[in-house]
Amino acid sequence: MRLVAERASERARPQRNHFTRRAFVAAAMAAPFVSGKAGAAGSLNAYSIWPENYARPMMEAFEKASGIAVKFVRFSSGEALARVAAEKNNPQIDVLFGGPVETFTAGQSKGLFEAYKSPSFGDLPSRFKDANGQWTAIADDPLVFMTNSGFLKQHNLQPPGSWDDLLNPAYKDMLQMADARTSGTAVTRIFSILQVHDRNEDAAFAYMKKLRKNIQSYTKSGGGGTLPVGLGQAGGGIFFIVDALFTRQKGYDVQISFPKEGIGSAAECIALIKGAKNADAGKKLIDWATSPDMQSLLAPNKINFIPAHPKVATEPSLAEVLKGAKIIEIDEAWAGSNRQRIIERWIAEVLNAG
Amino acid sequence: MQGDPLRAGVVVALWLLLGLFVLYPLACLLIRAFSDDGGFTLGPIVGALGNPTHLRALRNSLVLASLVGILGTAAGFLFAYAAERTDMSRNARRLIDFIILLPLISPPFTTSIGFVFSFGPRGLITHDLLGMQNAQVYGWASTTCAEALTYFPLAFLALRPLIAAIGGDLEEAGFSLGGSRWQVFRTITLPLTMPGLGNAFLLIFAASLADFATPLILAGNNLPVLPTDAYLQITGMFDLKGGAVLSLLLLVPAGLVFFAQRYLVERRSYVTITGKSGGRARGAGATAWLRWVLWAACAAVTLFILYLYALLAYASAVVAFGANATLTLDNYRVIFTEGVPAIKDTLIIALIGMPLGGLYGVIVGYLIARSRGFGRHMIEIVSMINYALPGTIVGIAYLIAFNDQPFALTGTATIIIACYIFRYSPTGIRTTVALLQQVDRSIEEASFSLGASSLRTFRSVTLPLILPAFFAGLGTVFIRAMTAISATIFLVSINWTLITVRILENMTEVALGPAAAFSVFVIVVVLGVTSLLNVALRRMTTLRVSSLGTAS
Repeated sequence: MRLVAERASERARPQRNHFTRRAFVAAAMAAPFVSGKAGAAGSLNAYSIWPENYARPMMEAFEKASGIAVKFVRFSSGEALARVAAEKNNPQIDVLFGGPVETFTAGQSKGLFEAYKSPSFGDLPSRFKDANGQWTAIADDPLVFMTNSGFLKQHNLQPPGSWDDLLNPAYKDMLQMADARTSGTAVTRIFSILQVHDRNEDAAFAYMKKLRKNIQSYTKSGGGGTLPVGLGQAGGGIFFIVDALFTRQKGYDVQISFPKEGIGSAAECIALIKGAKNADAGKKLIDWATSPDMQSLLAPNKINFIPAHPKVATEPSLAEVLKGAKIIEIDEAWAGSNRQRIIERWIAEVLNAG
Repeated sequence: MQGDPLRAGVVVALWLLLGLFVLYPLACLLIRAFSDDGGFTLGPIVGALGNPTHLRALRNSLVLASLVGILGTAAGFLFAYAAERTDMSRNARRLIDFIILLPLISPPFTTSIGFVFSFGPRGLITHDLLGMQNAQVYGWASTTCAEALTYFPLAFLALRPLIAAIGGDLEEAGFSLGGSRWQVFRTITLPLTMPGLGNAFLLIFAASLADFATPLILAGNNLPVLPTDAYLQITGMFDLKGGAVLSLLLLVPAGLVFFAQRYLVERRSYVTITGKSGGRARGAGATAWLRWVLWAACAAVTLFILYLYALLAYASAVVAFGANATLTLDNYRVIFTEGVPAIKDTLIIALIGMPLGGLYGVIVGYLIARSRGFGRHMIEIVSMINYALPGTIVGIAYLIAFNDQPFALTGTATIIIACYIFRYSPTGIRTTVALLQQVDRSIEEASFSLGASSLRTFRSVTLPLILPAFFAGLGTVFIRAMTAISATIFLVSINWTLITVRILENMTEVALGPAAAFSVFVIVVVLGVTSLLNVALRRMTTLRVSSLGTAS
């Protein structure tokens, strides 16, 4: 009916209008097919590896502080890197935001980043930056053991305080942790285990093979196991502290503990994309994110990363959780050059051993 | 009719589009997979074939797809037969229409997540209901069941119009000649639905072969399958080449099943609409006890699906599933504030893709069913490629192909819409072909000999006959545009994002509430649109039937 009425009214109108209207409709139809906004000054595009609930408040604060409009999409570390690599000849973004350092060293070896040193660069310890400024840390994120309180009670267990506690048969088929093929969390975990075994690979892999018997599922993303552990579908697992504390904040009854032998930590980084169309705006975001301006906003937003900048104090309740934790350093240069080989060995000897 | 200029123009335009959106990306991907510093190499594929892990994944994929194909086709046939051949009440039929749609119109992961909540060590069914202590959800059983549950509606949608179109009078003739019910079913109903069964099995087999979302959640560590491995290879190991090679292993079985099905269908004639057919009869095929068995089976599946979705609705309405059962609207507030860009983009893309995809499906289906010779086979095969390939690979192929000149489409909606059209129209294509195989050419030839052009014949004779296929195509493309993720996760951009990608993100953020709320929103929207399509189809079909009635 509506169509008929439209057609009738068109007929009544002069022909010229008819064509203008058509042109307008055509333009409206075509709008979604042409490329989006050009790189106007005062805007930038980013892939965030931090989940949206962490990244959004940060980006909004940056927009307010700088007047630069930020468009960002969140991808897991592997996917974000695969996309940046695929888009190498026609970069869609200016900044890769957040994500564990091992993702950034992998991107660095593919030549995806443009070196840039922000004003905070000199203040940071060497673990938190690439010497040439290919990437810079914005936060620190240690691994933790997270266990379901009900599960512990049912099996009469204490929260695990040693790597060997996780080998307890009570955990059989009840641990979830990340898959090293997709997750930076898993890679950090494996290098922690290597480091605890003084980089004696055979000893470390012997441990991981024993641990394999207790694994219920290797999840594709680092936080993938947090909900099952929260629900009691799994008994526990190894996660980044930011995800573990978030699970607890959500109301799930979980315990957070650290192994006495020590556990690794991942620097969360930021980098400028090579060939970025809004490089100046991108540099401003890097300046802001690596400075206390952003990192002092983490605690008020209940985001439990440890600030990387030495001038920002760790939030007291987070410091309380970390008290007594032994955080060990992973040699990123060694990890970077052995990453591929170690993961392949993990796939062959641990993952496929089930 | 072969020399018709309009038809020739359509074929040329179609080949240009297939070339650009199917062959060109695939070629870019192959070049990436088989080139090494500019030279050609077979190293990667030889390496993949020699790797026991990959061979195991290939075997698992084949077994899984076969199981899912058989189970899904059986369930689809069961439902289609119950809906068309028993005197089921109007309301029960409506309920089936509704339930059958749910798994099809749901965003990925919803069935899998429901399974995880229901069958694990603290699962609502295994632990809370049955008191089992050490139930494990990951593995063959759950993956097979979840995929069959997700894909059996494809079989239902493909089989139902066929069963409806098989005139009840043929079955009645069988009865009046003294055939028993089993004889009539075996010698009339079953052979007439064979093309449909083959078609349904093919659709489900291919869907399962390409599915990575379900195994990603449910397969666990002891059931590696190729799409998941290919996805992990690309996204995790940054190994585009390895992933491309793994996905090529999938093409072989997909191609074999495809040709087997064609052989099966083309050997026989299945014409039931001869222009002389009478009305259709419902309730002629089943005895009382058979009816109850059919109904009980349908009811069991229906109830289980309802339960899974009740779980989803519940998760969307509480503060934290399993920890805090306080009712809240907060999750919906989140999706209608932060989620608005994703919602808007998804709807625009789906609404543009729907009519284009429907039209494309019918045109390609018509050309396949009504042409002869080599070109026809080529169109048929090429139009199936993007459907048979794992979505991850299509997505990566598009990303490689359309990132650079001359076709720089990365970051636009065009690339996402094109991906949906060329990936999800095979349902429309196959349904068109299957319907046309039941329509005798003599009807169209009569039109030609009365002087009608090919356009006129298509519009006034063929189109009304394949209208159900057109609507099936419309529905599928819209549904997929609202719910698919595997290919388009690589195509979303700063400018265009999708609800499904937000759902996946939410799930990894322990934000199950917003993920569930998004899912409920998608289901409601898709239900609304598909209901409108159904109403439209019913109106137009009634029109057709009445006009045929006056003609005869």
